[in-house]
Amino acid sequence: MAASPDAAKVAGSAKPEDLVLVITRVLDAPRALVFKVWSQPEHLVRWWGPKGFTLPSCKMEFHAGGAFRCLLRSPEGTEHRMHGVYREIIEPEKISFTWTWIDEAGHPGHETLVTVTLAEAGKDGAQTKLTLHHAVFESVTARDAHGVGWTECFDRLAAYVTRL
Amino acid sequence: MSADPLSQTFAALADPTRRAILARLCSGEATVSELAEPFDMSLPAVSKHLKVLERAGLVARSREAQWRPCRLDAAPLKDAAGWLERYRQFWEQSLDRLQDYLDELQMKKTKEKEGDDHGRKS
Repeated sequence: MAASPDAAKVAGSAKPEDLVLVITRVLDAPRALVFKVWSQPEHLVRWWGPKGFTLPSCKMEFHAGGAFRCLLRSPEGTEHRMHGVYREIIEPEKISFTWTWIDEAGHPGHETLVTVTLAEAGKDGAQTKLTLHHAVFESVTARDAHGVGWTECFDRLAAYVTRL
Repeated sequence: MSADPLSQTFAALADPTRRAILARLCSGEATVSELAEPFDMSLPAVSKHLKVLERAGLVARSREAQWRPCRLDAAPLKDAAGWLERYRQFWEQSLDRLQDYLDELQMKKTKEKEGDDHGRKS
């Protein structure tokens, strides 16, 4: 498997046929800096989470096999806990980690896999193209084994679901 | 494993055979033996997969009549799509904030550098 060659085209869109979210962004900053703000908690707490959210607590062991654990607080004050494990880190181009929300009783929910790739862009690498891949299924090969049927299925489903 | 409906949906979807069964049911109702046909699998093995799909509410089957065909129920899939949409919003907004933060960091750096240049020029 590989990231779809059309990944850039579907930037910002969910791909329901294989339940993978792909987002691409060109950031106005060199790649080393972008990598840095993903890799250190004091930077991460400044931007991680939707608008108005804060990260009162964030612990991370930034190496393959290392765990991270964060507490995210919504503007209304609701707290959400999440944790994950770094799967692969290649400085300064790739970070891959699992992501699971923890419910109020402390039970982990469904595990997903996030892969962030950073490529130099712009004049003299002044920019960075970030591609974020968030997969519902961890096993990409299993997912792709029946890719065609799945795509057709969702085409029909898309039409069906809108009538529900 | 957690028993919340969404986790059940994803657990059910996390198997290629089960996804293929769903894909087949998208084109209409089918009996268990019809569903088993494309797979190198026994009927009991296919029934086992169907039970997982049933528990997740993705497939409906009449209990009284074994020969009655299976059909797809797409409602849990709609929830799954909504779940993905929430992640999309999470990331889009995080990346907006990331750019703002990067601007802030670089502004600081430029100012420091300008300070140095100014010192050298005068």
